[in-house]
Amino acid sequence: MPASTPPRIACLLVPDLPLAAALRAHPELGGQPLAITSDRGPRAEILAVSPEAAQAGVRPQQGLAHARTLCAELCVQRASPALERAARNALLDAAFSTSPRAVLAPPGSGLLAAEAAAFVDARGVGRLFHSERGFAGALCERAAHLGLPAVVSIASARTVARIAARTLIAAGSSGATGTTRVLPPGSETDFLPPLPLDLLDPEDRLASDLARFGLHRVGDLLRIPERGLVTRFGHRILPLLALARGEDRSPPPPAPSKTLLEEALDLERPIQTLEPLLFVLRGALARLRARLALRRLAAAQLEIELGLSGGGRDARRVAASAPTLEPRIWLRLVSLSLESRPPPAAIERVRLAVEARPPRGDQLDFFRPAGAPPAALDRTLAELTALCGEGRVGAPALADDPRPDAHALAPFRPQPSRRDGSSPPRTRLAVRALRPPLPAQVLAPHGSPEAVRSALGGGCVLHCAGPWRTTGRWWSQDERFAFDHFDVQTEDGLVFRLRRNHVARRWEIDGVYD
Amino acid sequence: MPLRPRPTGLDAVDRMLGGGFPQGRLSEIAGEAGRGCTSLALALLAHTTASGAWAAMLDPADAFDPLSADAAGVDLARVLWARPRGLEEALRCAEHVLTAHGFALLVLDLAPGTSQQAPRVPDAAWPRLRRSAAGTDTALVVLGQQRLAGSCADVAVELESTRTHFLPRPDWLAGRDTRLSLVRNRMGPADLHAHVGWRMPGALESPLHEATPQAFQHSARAQALGRPRPERAA
Repeated sequence: MPASTPPRIACLLVPDLPLAAALRAHPELGGQPLAITSDRGPRAEILAVSPEAAQAGVRPQQGLAHARTLCAELCVQRASPALERAARNALLDAAFSTSPRAVLAPPGSGLLAAEAAAFVDARGVGRLFHSERGFAGALCERAAHLGLPAVVSIASARTVARIAARTLIAAGSSGATGTTRVLPPGSETDFLPPLPLDLLDPEDRLASDLARFGLHRVGDLLRIPERGLVTRFGHRILPLLALARGEDRSPPPPAPSKTLLEEALDLERPIQTLEPLLFVLRGALARLRARLALRRLAAAQLEIELGLSGGGRDARRVAASAPTLEPRIWLRLVSLSLESRPPPAAIERVRLAVEARPPRGDQLDFFRPAGAPPAALDRTLAELTALCGEGRVGAPALADDPRPDAHALAPFRPQPSRRDGSSPPRTRLAVRALRPPLPAQVLAPHGSPEAVRSALGGGCVLHCAGPWRTTGRWWSQDERFAFDHFDVQTEDGLVFRLRRNHVARRWEIDGVYD
Repeated sequence: MPLRPRPTGLDAVDRMLGGGFPQGRLSEIAGEAGRGCTSLALALLAHTTASGAWAAMLDPADAFDPLSADAAGVDLARVLWARPRGLEEALRCAEHVLTAHGFALLVLDLAPGTSQQAPRVPDAAWPRLRRSAAGTDTALVVLGQQRLAGSCADVAVELESTRTHFLPRPDWLAGRDTRLSLVRNRMGPADLHAHVGWRMPGALESPLHEATPQAFQHSARAQALGRPRPERAA
């Protein structure tokens, strides 16, 4: 975007963040009278109420006991800073899904403390969304998709856009969410003066001083010379004056190169068993998935931090073999991790974090069969990893290890091959490996096996080739190995690889020629 | 959609199958341990991956040997090897691979491993797998000690071992002969047979019955070189 382009800034504003965050985490409470309280207990103060609760007469700053007398069906949720932080970041994700430049607005104070806002660079968006109004509507829809009812306004300065959004809320109360307003360039000079000064969110003491001087509207402030204002109110008036003039026109900064998405929540009661924890995680993963999908990102690794009763902390990391969006896959991997290593105490807090990255692209080959599309392959790999467990899905590889049964697993990333497909067919006798090796009873009075008995079969040895000795890692007590291998055919027709394990002092069958 | 066969690269076997194992269909390779099922599967994997296509190997018994596969000519980078922990997971993995629509071959190895217990596959699993494979470009091949899919299999091949070749003085396993019987074929004639002689890696390419003392010397040297740090026991 050229620097000469006049600034256009959209403000995406959620009027009541504690309520929106609670409903985002508990969508089943939508449509019910709901109050967000500061604490547990009947003396807790109400911070926010849903429209249904407001209709019953419940208001913020009431006591919970009083509110219950007004509305017997009142549902109560304790305010959760973790949920609100996640909701604020989700708002930023909605902003980044429409524009590469966005930033969270500083939190409000006083009566506006519950709002959350993000500024979005709206220069040139008319080409993508047909008009600025279309852009504002899309922004609203995306926030609503993440469970955040919001309003959007577009203006030439951040403050003007934010105040325009606040006027939408003031005009329509909470039913205004989803509405938009676009102030054409140059109309700010007519828009701001009639508005009350409270919309600029002055600090409490300054607001009372302004009221004492009879300054109630933005226009009242702008009519007085700056020098006179400084003489009467001191330098603290200057930031407010800058807001009233709409001087903050700098575009928001670009998105950071590293994208870390987090979802966290404080649990009402400590959880001790796996099933309720998975239920909680399922919701958090679904919210993460919605945010990733909106930004067209995926994640290959999930960090889980569990806050434990007594102040402890359990941190773990699960990885899928390929970036994926599917909560089902993550849930399966998390379940496997928790089953293999349960947390040592009851869980009070949960935090999930993913480092998001763009889905993998692929370069197709003109002359080779196309494999699965990268996204489908990544999804399949993640599904298989969730079913089989970590370290059990990939491309087989030859291990750089002298042990005869060594093998390796590499990530499945097939590249265009130089093989031309015209190599002569090979009729190789293959080995079917037995992992772990099958114990065998062997009669070997002269060193070579003469009779074998095992779960696989056995009998007198008809043919025996070997031994071939393989030894290594003699310097390590735990890793040293020494085998004498024999190729043996017994009278029941089986041909297998028999070995004398000199370290464990036993006979084993580690493969069948099949 | 016309059925395209997925050849094994072995002339006798491909002639018997009418070109190879059909894509989009369920095929079975059945034979007791040591009869050559794994060797045939690796030949199929080798020919598939040599053409640049992808293959998947579902191996609940953890019996796949990468060294053998490499010796058989399999392009290991083009093989997706998954080791489910049980039969149920293996069947679900198979459905995921079939719905990925990118693998030319899926080998589902249900032959027993160390436990030597044959899996008990629910009857409902086979129609479901067959339906998942239908309409895809994936040839689904199931390995087992005996035929498992019954009438759901479009092609069934049974293997029996006919002869094992040990070269004398000192004894040396040189190879094994297998007789393949096409016992079921929905796409063409059945009751056909083929013979394949499997050889040890490093053995001469000449037919086994023509092995001479010179051939044995060469074979033994080549085989010895192919083994990791071979050492003759005292």
